[in-house]
Amino acid sequence: MFNPVVINEAICNGCNNCVEVCPMDLFEANPVKGGPPIVKYPDQCAFDGVCWERCPNRDEAAITIIPPLSMRVAILRGLP
Amino acid sequence: MKTNIDVVSIEADVLIIGGGLAGCMAAIKATESGLKVAIAEKADTLASGCAGTGVDHMWAYIPEVHQAMGYTPEDMIDNNTKVVAGGFVNQDLLRLVVSESYERMLDLEKFGLKFRFEDSKAPGKFRVVNQFHSVPDTFNFEGRRIKVNLTKTAKRKGVKIYNRVSMTELLTSDDGHITGALGIGTRDGKLYSFRAKAVVMSTGRVNRLTRNLTGVWGNYRLPASETGDGRAMAFRAGVPIINMEFLSPSRFSIGNYELNLGSPRNTTQPAGAVVDGENNIIVPRTEFYNWDKLGQPPVDVAAAMAAHRQANATNSVNYSQLLKEGRGPFYLDLTSGTEDEIRYIEWSISHEGKGQLFLEHLHNHMHFDFRKDKLEWLPNTREMAGMASSGLVVDKNMETSLKGLFAAGDEVGGMPWSASPGAFTMGWRAGEMAAQEARRQKQFFDVSPTHTDALGRLMQRMTGNGHGHTWHEAEIAIQNIVDYYADHFRSEKMLQRGLHRLAELRDVIDLRADSPHETGRCLEIRSLLENAEMVLRGSLERKESRRMPFGFTRADYPDTNDAEYFAFLSQRREGSAVRFAKINLAH
Repeated sequence: MFNPVVINEAICNGCNNCVEVCPMDLFEANPVKGGPPIVKYPDQCAFDGVCWERCPNRDEAAITIIPPLSMRVAILRGLP
Repeated sequence: MKTNIDVVSIEADVLIIGGGLAGCMAAIKATESGLKVAIAEKADTLASGCAGTGVDHMWAYIPEVHQAMGYTPEDMIDNNTKVVAGGFVNQDLLRLVVSESYERMLDLEKFGLKFRFEDSKAPGKFRVVNQFHSVPDTFNFEGRRIKVNLTKTAKRKGVKIYNRVSMTELLTSDDGHITGALGIGTRDGKLYSFRAKAVVMSTGRVNRLTRNLTGVWGNYRLPASETGDGRAMAFRAGVPIINMEFLSPSRFSIGNYELNLGSPRNTTQPAGAVVDGENNIIVPRTEFYNWDKLGQPPVDVAAAMAAHRQANATNSVNYSQLLKEGRGPFYLDLTSGTEDEIRYIEWSISHEGKGQLFLEHLHNHMHFDFRKDKLEWLPNTREMAGMASSGLVVDKNMETSLKGLFAAGDEVGGMPWSASPGAFTMGWRAGEMAAQEARRQKQFFDVSPTHTDALGRLMQRMTGNGHGHTWHEAEIAIQNIVDYYADHFRSEKMLQRGLHRLAELRDVIDLRADSPHETGRCLEIRSLLENAEMVLRGSLERKESRRMPFGFTRADYPDTNDAEYFAFLSQRREGSAVRFAKINLAH
């Protein structure tokens, strides 16, 4: 139902850190060496952010975590 | 009937099941004896357990700080006993944690973690804050990558780590000694058979027994990977388990984007307050301790505890009541914070479980600023099965009734919110004592192939089972039963009916796994079933209601009965029966 983990294939360098560390074991390494990992079980994400935290290219958004709509933080904006 | 599943046979003098904070500390300590130490971890120790993405705080008696304050270790024990646990705590465990967490902090510092900061005015340069106790004794540190650090340290000391191995069964000798354990490779689909002279069980808590509030699977405050595997394995092996009946009712917090964060008076202090829609303060903010006035005068611990209790009572907000009065919505408000306070809070959040991701989301995707904006305060999912206060019964050496089986951390029953200091101290002690036990054993015990064959057959059945139930379907069925029969108000007939429903479910569930990964999820379901039964059985046995430290309400026994029930109630399997025993607590 959800697609919380999005890998930018252009930026991902295929280091597979995310595959190694994911506490819920969502990922599978790409059969092509150096290719971006496959998110095999997106519905089992626990939103811990480990994959993102350990991604060496996370500042370039190699991997993005998108919380599902029902899980987003609810904000009350202050005055600008 | 033999199966064609590969069996990986491993020998380790000391086997640690569960490579979280406690498990890693146990493994590191056990290597000091020169023994062969192995960790079996169902995820990867680099990021597993409650501290997978970081832990930002621990508490300890820090001599250079607390002697100056006029606070003694006995004061701290008293403080924890009265204010945190309401007396409902194992004094031996508490004493261990209070007397040794400072030493463990020094060890962690040796392993490369940063606890001291130039801008700190506290002696020792620790970032000491108020949190659990009435006198400031919690300190924040840079623990975002503590699991990486502990993994590297363990490996450097020769620990062999088996990641992606989900352990499911303890093996014992006829005369009641641990002999090893069995597990399944959740990537390679192999059967792992460990022979060990001593075992430390440290698999954490049990989560996923109750439906969460957002409807997004996995969205809990605590790790979805923690499914009470240790409690299930130990119970099946005849080890007593306590406190499964307790329930932490739904609180308010950031709610939806649930991340280990404790608030408002924890991670988001001092500036975090809770307000309503009209900006009326519901929970006030706190202040940093004034280090310029350290020891002037020495702290009056009794007065501090009384003030803390008073504050707890005042701030113990009944949000349901406020909603009934039309006072909602509610917000976490840090707008009164100074620049320094907000930077401090964001630093501390970034080191606590999931906090870094949360901040990234807030800043980069939501353009949120704590200085101007507020986060809505929403109901979060309640927590079943006694949280970290439930678990295995252990003695002073962290040993269970099963000779050679030790336990540590959240796996251990009897200390509410033992948290990271509990993990570090209990882990270390369990590792030390397990090593001692292993040295006493001249050789490994024989392990008969019966259990290995049985597990192999189970794996085969699940894998070939096209018509079976998925783990997810089974999980929802278990949660439905626990949520209804072990809801907030429990009673004799409801609990008995619930146990009957669980027994029926057990008979009917026929799990299917289309991959080794799914086999791992199926093993979690087996653990959840075992734990669900423990919750209902424990609830039947406790014929009273009790508010501290967690909730337990019997509609048919609405009063607290200290005369009979100021005790842990342990449940232990004996053949096909379950025996209960009382472990009385000191008044």
